[in-house]
Amino acid sequence: MLETVAQAVINGLLIGGIYALVSIGVTLIFGVVKIVNFAQGEFVMIGMYLSFYLATQFGIDPIASLVVTMPVLFVVGALIQHFLIRRVLGPNDMPQIFLTFALSLLLLNLALMLFTANYRTVHTSYSDEALHLGGLYIPVAKLIAFVVAMILSGALWVFLHTTDLGKAMRAASQNRDVATLMGINPNRVFCVALGIALALAGAAGSLLMPFYSAYPFVGQVFVLMAFVAVVLGTLGNVMGALIASLMMGIAESLGIQYVGADSGLLVVFAMLLLTLAFKPNGLGGGRAR
Amino acid sequence: MTKDRRQSVLSNASGTGQILSKRQSRRKFLLKAGGAVAAGAFGAVPLRGWAADPVNIGALYPTTGGMAQIGVGCVAAAKLAVEMVNEAGGIKSLGGARLNLIVSDVQSDTTVTRTETDRLITENKLSAIHGCFASALTLIASEVAERAKVPLITGSSSDQLNKGRTYTFTPFARASQFAKAQLQMAKLVGDKPKVAVIFENTAFGTSTSNGLKELAPAEGVEIVMFEPYSAGFTDASPLINKVKASGANALFSVSYLNDLILIVRTVKQVGLNVAINGGSGGFVIPDFYKNVGKLAEGLQGVAHWNHDMSDDAQKVNAEYKKRTGDFLFEYAGGLVAQTFMIADALERAGSADPQKVREALSTLDVSSGYAAMAPGGKVKFGPDGKNIYGHPVGVQWQNGDLASVFPKDDSRAPLLKT
Repeated sequence: MLETVAQAVINGLLIGGIYALVSIGVTLIFGVVKIVNFAQGEFVMIGMYLSFYLATQFGIDPIASLVVTMPVLFVVGALIQHFLIRRVLGPNDMPQIFLTFALSLLLLNLALMLFTANYRTVHTSYSDEALHLGGLYIPVAKLIAFVVAMILSGALWVFLHTTDLGKAMRAASQNRDVATLMGINPNRVFCVALGIALALAGAAGSLLMPFYSAYPFVGQVFVLMAFVAVVLGTLGNVMGALIASLMMGIAESLGIQYVGADSGLLVVFAMLLLTLAFKPNGLGGGRAR
Repeated sequence: MTKDRRQSVLSNASGTGQILSKRQSRRKFLLKAGGAVAAGAFGAVPLRGWAADPVNIGALYPTTGGMAQIGVGCVAAAKLAVEMVNEAGGIKSLGGARLNLIVSDVQSDTTVTRTETDRLITENKLSAIHGCFASALTLIASEVAERAKVPLITGSSSDQLNKGRTYTFTPFARASQFAKAQLQMAKLVGDKPKVAVIFENTAFGTSTSNGLKELAPAEGVEIVMFEPYSAGFTDASPLINKVKASGANALFSVSYLNDLILIVRTVKQVGLNVAINGGSGGFVIPDFYKNVGKLAEGLQGVAHWNHDMSDDAQKVNAEYKKRTGDFLFEYAGGLVAQTFMIADALERAGSADPQKVREALSTLDVSSGYAAMAPGGKVKFGPDGKNIYGHPVGVQWQNGDLASVFPKDDSRAPLLKT
C-alpha cells in the first residue's frame, strides 16, 4: 500500500519535471513579453526532432544533444521576437493571439509534411533501464531528465536574480514604460526572454527523446499541462510554475492510481479549480517574478 | 538466374495467378498488337478490338493526416495488386481489360471521407471500391457507396459494417472475433491466465474491450483488472503501477501505436513479468518493431491477415518488400486479396457494371489463388456480406518478424511462451 503510494509519487515527480520545463517557458514569455505563446508545444516537438536526427545521423546521445538544441532554439526564439512578435506588440491582444496560434498551426503542418506522421523513437543504453530500490523502481532516462530539468530551472532562477540582464528582464516585466525610462531596451530583453523560453522547450524535447516518441502532434500533449501549471502557479511566476508542475505530475499519477486511469486529468483540473476558488491569483499569491 | 526470372519461375510453378515479369508481358503485348494489326489488315476485326476499355477501381485511403502512416502503405499495396492482375492478362471475359486504380485521399477525416467518396463515385465510372482502413471512415464511405449502388470491399473490422448494407463486403475477421482469439491465445501461454485489460476510452477501445469482457467467462479466463485510460498520455508508469498491483499475469492492451510503445517500455522498466497481447492495428505494423526493438520479441497480437500465413501471401510479401523495404502489413496484405476478389467477380460478371459486379461478389466462392488469401484460405460471402469462413490469425513477434502462430491451421511458427 505505502509502496504503491510512494511509487505513484515518484512517477508523478519525474514527469512533473518535464511539465516544468514547458510551463516555465510559457510563464516567462507571459511574464516578460505579456503574450501567450500557443506554439510552445511545437518547439518541444522541434527539439525532439532535432535530437532524433542528431542521434540517428550523428550518433549523438539525445541528452548530450541539449548543447545543440538549446542554442538553436534560443536563436529561433530571438528571431521570432525580433521579426514577428515585435510587430504585433501593442494595446490590442488579438494580433498576438493570432500570431502565436498561426505559428503553432504552421509548424504542426510543416512537421507533418517534412517528417510524416510516423512515430520516431531513439534507443539509448539507458532507455529501458530502471534503478530498483526495495520494491520501488526509478526509470533512469526519466531520472536524468528530471535532474537536468531541475538544474536548468535553478540556473534560470539564479540568472533572473543575480545578473543585470536578468534583473532588467524582471524590471521590464513589472513595468515596461518605467524600465524603458531606466535605459532598458525592451526589444533586447524580450528577445532574450523568448530565446530562453524556446531553449527550455528545446531542452524538454531532448530530455524526452530517450523515453518518448517524436511525432508532429507531440507538443499538444505537453502544452495543455503547461498552461494549467502556468495558471496554477500564478501567471508569470517562474517558481510558481515549477512547483505547480511538480504538484500536477503527482496529482495526475495519484489520480490514475486511485480514481481511474482515465481520470488523471480530472484530478489535475479539480486541483486547478479548487486553487482558483481559494487563491484566485494562483499559488504564487499573484506576484509575478 | 536473375531474381526476376526466378520469381516468374516460382509463380509459374504454383500455377495460380502469376506475377509475370516485364519481359513476358511485353512479349504478350507484341503478340496481341501484332495480331491486331494483322487482323486489321484483313479488315475482319476493328483495330481497337484487342484493347478493351479499362475497368475503374476506386481506392479510398487516408494518405495525409493522423492515419497517413498506414494509408500510404495501403496505396502502395493497392497499386501492386492492380499491376499483378494486369500483368496476368487483366479481365479475360472483358477482352483482357486492364484494371485502372483511382486513388482518393480521405485525409483521416470523416467529413472529407463523405465528400471524397461522393466525388469519386460521381466523377468516375467505377466498378467497385476498396477502403478505407479505419472503421470510422469505412462506415461513412460504405453508406455513400450503398446509396450510389457501388460495391465496396473492406478489411475494416467493425461489426456495424455488416448491418443494413447490401453493397458492402467484408472478407476478413470481425471485431467480435478478435477477442475470442486473444483469450484462447492467453490460455495457450499460461495455465491460469489472470488478465488485466487496459483500453483507451474511445469507441475503438471500448467496443473491443467489452468483447473481451463478455467472452472471458466462457473461455475460462479471469479478468482481474478492466481499466479505461485517456488516449495520448504522457506517462504510462501510473497505469502499469496499477497493473502490477492487480496481480495480473497477462496484459491485454487496446491502444494505438504511441501509447502501446510507452506501455511496453514501462512494463520492461518495472520488471513486470506479464504476457502482453497488443491486439491489432498499430501492433502489427513494421513501425512497432522499429520503435520498440527487442522488447517486442514474444509479444502477441491478432490480425485479419499476415504476410507468412500462406505461400501466396509470402509471394506477394516478397514483391512488396522489394518495393518498400518493409514487410506487407495486415491491412495492406488484405487489400491485395480484395483486389483479386474484385477481379474474380469482374471475370464472372463479364461486365464492368457495378450492380453486376455486386451480384458476382455475393456469389464469390474461392479456395485457391490470391483471392483466397485469408486466414483459413477460403472466402464465401453470407447474406450480410461477411466471409462465412472468416477468422483472425494470432501473431507473435519473433526475431524481428511477425509470425503467424494461431490457430494451428494458419500457423507457420510455434506460439512461444515468454
